[in-house]
Amino acid sequence: MNAPLATSGRGPRQQFELSIGCVPLRLHISDAQLFGAASERYAAFTDVAEQPINIALNDATLTASEPAGFGYEFEGAVLQAFSSGIRFDGVKNQYALDSLLRVFLSWKLLEHHGFLLHAATVIRGGRAYVFTGRSGAGKSTVASLSPQGSVFTDEISLLRRENGIWRAYGTPFWGDFKAAGSNSSAPVAGIFRLLQAPENRVAALRPMAILRTLLPNVLFFSAEAASTSRLLEILSRAATEIPGYNLSFRKNPTFWEVLPA
Amino acid sequence: MSTPATMTWQKNPALAWREIDDETVIISPNDSVMHELNDTGSFLWKNIDGKKSAAELAQLLAENYEVTPDIALSDTQALLEEMSSRKLVVSAPAAGGVSP
Repeated sequence: MNAPLATSGRGPRQQFELSIGCVPLRLHISDAQLFGAASERYAAFTDVAEQPINIALNDATLTASEPAGFGYEFEGAVLQAFSSGIRFDGVKNQYALDSLLRVFLSWKLLEHHGFLLHAATVIRGGRAYVFTGRSGAGKSTVASLSPQGSVFTDEISLLRRENGIWRAYGTPFWGDFKAAGSNSSAPVAGIFRLLQAPENRVAALRPMAILRTLLPNVLFFSAEAASTSRLLEILSRAATEIPGYNLSFRKNPTFWEVLPA
Repeated sequence: MSTPATMTWQKNPALAWREIDDETVIISPNDSVMHELNDTGSFLWKNIDGKKSAAELAQLLAENYEVTPDIALSDTQALLEEMSSRKLVVSAPAAGGVSP
C-alpha cells in the first residue's frame, strides 16, 4: 500500500512498502520529492508483507522507544535502530536513502543467516552464478555480457541460507550496468572471484580461500564484536557449503563455456 | 623482549574468530583487519583460555606435534608476542605470580 497516511507539519506522510531479500520494509516519508524518487527507484521491489519493519525518514515521532543496539552515520545521514522501528535522519536524497538501506540490511540479515556481497548475480539454468570482486573487477562487464533478463544485480548481491539451501536474491542496488535489479531468488550454483585475463579458466577454491574472497567484498558496518562474530559464522558456513572458484575471464561471453554446469 | 613463561594468556574478548580448514581467521571489529593463523597457530589459539601459561601451551604443542620441548617453548613465546603486538591476546600474571 503506498498512500498518504497523515498530515504532519511538513506535509502528508506517505508510506512505501518494499521487500529486499524477503526482508519486508515500510518506509514512512514526508518529503514528496523523496517519496517520488524512492517509489521509482524501488518499483520492482514493492511488496506487501505481514509485519514489515517500519523505517521513519527524517521523522522522530514514529520511533520513540528503546535503542536496539545498532547505529551508523554516513555523510550526515544517520541510521538508528529502536525496538519499535528504525530512524533514518538527515536523508537529503534518494542516494542517502539507498546507502542507509544497504547499511540497515547488512545488519538485519544477520538474523536471517544472510549477507550482502559486492557481486553481480546472473541466472542460468535456474541457478544463480555469483561473480564477486571489488570495483573494476568486472561485475558490470559480466552483467553486460549476459543475456537480457538474466541479471539479478550487477553490483550488490544478497545471499541467504534457507532450509539448508543458499539462495541469491536480486537487489535494487545497481552499479554501472544500471540494471534495476530483479526481485527474485534462485539457488546458488557457485561464487566466482573475478580475475580479468587473456584466457578463460576456472580453478576451484578451498573453503578458506572462499572465505578470504568473501571477507573483503562483504558489506558490513558494525564494529560490535557479537555482530562481527555472527557475520563470520555465516560467512564460514557459506564458504564451506557453496562451491567457490577463481574465474579468469576474457571480456566476452565465452567465459560461460568454462563455468561448471 | 621475551615474555615470562609463567604468565597466562587470554584471547582479546573484542575479537571475532572462526576455524576453517584447520586454520583460524580472526577479525578485529574496530578496524576490520583480518588475521590468519596456520595449523599450529590455530592449535595454540584454541588452547589460549586465560588459564594457561606459555610453558603450559608449549607443553601441549610438544605433545601434539613432532617438536622438542625447547623449540615448542621458543615458538610458542614468539607467537604469543606476535599476537600480543597485534592485540589478539592479552597477558595476565599467573596466580601468585608477580607481573614485571
